[in-house]
Amino acid sequence: MAAQQKLYPRGTVKRIVKAHSNRSVSKNADILIFLDYMLFMQELMREASIRSRKSGEKNVSASSVQKVTERTLRKFKG
Amino acid sequence: MSTPRPRGRPRLSGSSEVDSTPGDTTITRIQRLPIHNRYPLTPSRLTTTTPSGNRSASRYTPRARGAGAPSTPYGLRAMQRRAANTPGRDRRKSFRMQRETTFDILRNLGRALAPTSEAIRSSPKEEPEPEPIEEEIDEIDELDREPAIERPRLSLPIDESPEEEEGGSPEMRPPRLSLAFDEEDITVEYPRRATMDQDRGRLSMMSYGGTRLSENFGDLTQVESESEGGASPGIQEGADDTLISQGAFDRGGETEDLGRFNIDFNFPSPVAPAIGDDVGEPLNDDGFELDAVDINEGALDMQADAGSVSSADDATGGFGLDLNLPPRISLSQSPGLVGGGLRDEQSEPGKKQKKLSRHGIPVPNLPSGVVRKLAMRFARARVGTKAKISKTTLAAVEQASSWFFEQASEDLAAYSKHAGRKTIDESDVATLMRRQRHTNSSTTIFSLAQKHLPKELLQDMRLAMPP
Repeated sequence: MAAQQKLYPRGTVKRIVKAHSNRSVSKNADILIFLDYMLFMQELMREASIRSRKSGEKNVSASSVQKVTERTLRKFKG
Repeated sequence: MSTPRPRGRPRLSGSSEVDSTPGDTTITRIQRLPIHNRYPLTPSRLTTTTPSGNRSASRYTPRARGAGAPSTPYGLRAMQRRAANTPGRDRRKSFRMQRETTFDILRNLGRALAPTSEAIRSSPKEEPEPEPIEEEIDEIDELDREPAIERPRLSLPIDESPEEEEGGSPEMRPPRLSLAFDEEDITVEYPRRATMDQDRGRLSMMSYGGTRLSENFGDLTQVESESEGGASPGIQEGADDTLISQGAFDRGGETEDLGRFNIDFNFPSPVAPAIGDDVGEPLNDDGFELDAVDINEGALDMQADAGSVSSADDATGGFGLDLNLPPRISLSQSPGLVGGGLRDEQSEPGKKQKKLSRHGIPVPNLPSGVVRKLAMRFARARVGTKAKISKTTLAAVEQASSWFFEQASEDLAAYSKHAGRKTIDESDVATLMRRQRHTNSSTTIFSLAQKHLPKELLQDMRLAMPP
C-alpha cells in the first residue's frame, strides 16, 4: 500500500501539461490527465504484448512497443 | 440466333410487327405527334428508344396491346428466355437487325415527310433591311420600335465552313509526348512518400495523429534531404544500441534533434543547405564524414583554381574541417540561429537534457520509476505474473508517453481555448476522454477512476468534479 500511496508526482504531470499547452492547469485536472495516461499505458502495453506474443517473444520488446506506439497514439487523439 | 430485343419487341403490337416494315411503323407512330412534323430536323427526338418514349408515342394502354404481349415483367422475361432457347419465327431474320438501322428509319422518314426539300439556307446570310434613318429620336422609343429578336439558328452553316476555316481557330497542336525529366529540375515533384513515412517516425511529436503527409507538400527540403532520409533506417534500427549506451541521451533526444532539422528548414535561414545537412545530423557520423569529404573535394577544386600548388592536400584538409566545424557548433549551441524556436534543446551533450516544448517551456520527464511501474502493471495483466520490462522497452515506453503527453496537452489546450478559458479544466479532460471513446453512457469517468486510481486521488477528483 505504500507503493500505491504515491502513484505519481502530481507536480510533474502538471508541469508537463503546462509546458506543452502553455496554459495553466486547474487544481485537480491533473488527476484526470493521469487517468487518461493510465488508460493509454494500458492500451499501449496490451497492444505491445499482443504483438510481441505474436512474434514469439517472451517479454514485451522495445520494437513491438515502437511499432504499436503510433497506432495507439492515433487512437488517443482527441 | 437472333437475340430478341429486350424492350422493343413486346412493346410493338404483336401481330402486326412481323408483316409491316419497321420504317413504316415508326413513321406511323411519329406522325401522330404534330411537333415532330413541324421540326423534322432534330433526330434525337425521333428515335425514341426508351420504353417510356415508345409508350407515349404509340399511345398504347397496356390493356389495348396485342394479345401475345406479356403484361408483367416476369412474363416478358419468360418470353425472352423461351425465344432465346427456341428461335422460332425469328430464325430467318438473323440479318434483320442489321438492315433496320436508325439511319434507315430516318431516311424513310425523310422521304415520307419531305419528298422535295431544299437545303436549308442559314439565317445570318439574309441581311437585315436597313432601317430608315431618323434623326433625333428617343432612345427608348427606338428600343421599343426595334423588331423582335430573330430566332436563333438551329443548324450549322456547313456551306460556309470553308470560308471560316481560314480565319477560324488555329489547328490543334498534337499532344506532346512524354519527356524524361532533367535531373536538376527541382520543380518536378519526385515521389517521396516512403521517405516521408520514415521521417514521420523521427519527427518530434507535433500532434502525432494530426499530421498528414500532404502537409509538407511543396517544400523542397524534403527532396534535398532524401539522402539523409535514406540513411535514416540505420539510425532507427540502431536506436536501441544508442539508447543503451547513452542512457543520459535517451528518450528521443536524438530523434527529436533530427526532427528539428526537418522543421527548421521551413523557415528562411541564412545557412546554406549543404552545410545544414551536416548540422542537422550531428550524431550521424557516417553522413558527416561523407559530406566533409565532399566539401573537401570542393575546396580542393577551388584551391586548384586559385593556383596554390604547394601542399594542397594538407591545406585543404585543414581548411575543410575549419569550414565545417564552426557553423555546426554555433548552430547547435545558439538556438537563436535556428529559426522559429520550435522544440529546441539546450543541447550540451554532456549534461542531462531538458527538452523544451514548442512554447519554449522546459518539459520535465515523468520519472521512469512511475512509467516502469505502470508498464509492469499493465504488461503483467496480459502476459502472466512475471513481466520483465527491459531497459530498451522502458525507453520506448517513455518516448511514447512523452508523445502522449504532448498530444494530449495540445488537445486540452485546444478545448480550453475553444471554451474561452485560460486554464485547462476538468471538463476539458472529460471532453478529451469522451472523444477518445473512453467514457460513454455506460462508462463514466468515475468508474474509470475507481478502477485505476487510488483512493486519495479519487476523493480529490470527486471534490473537483461534482457528478
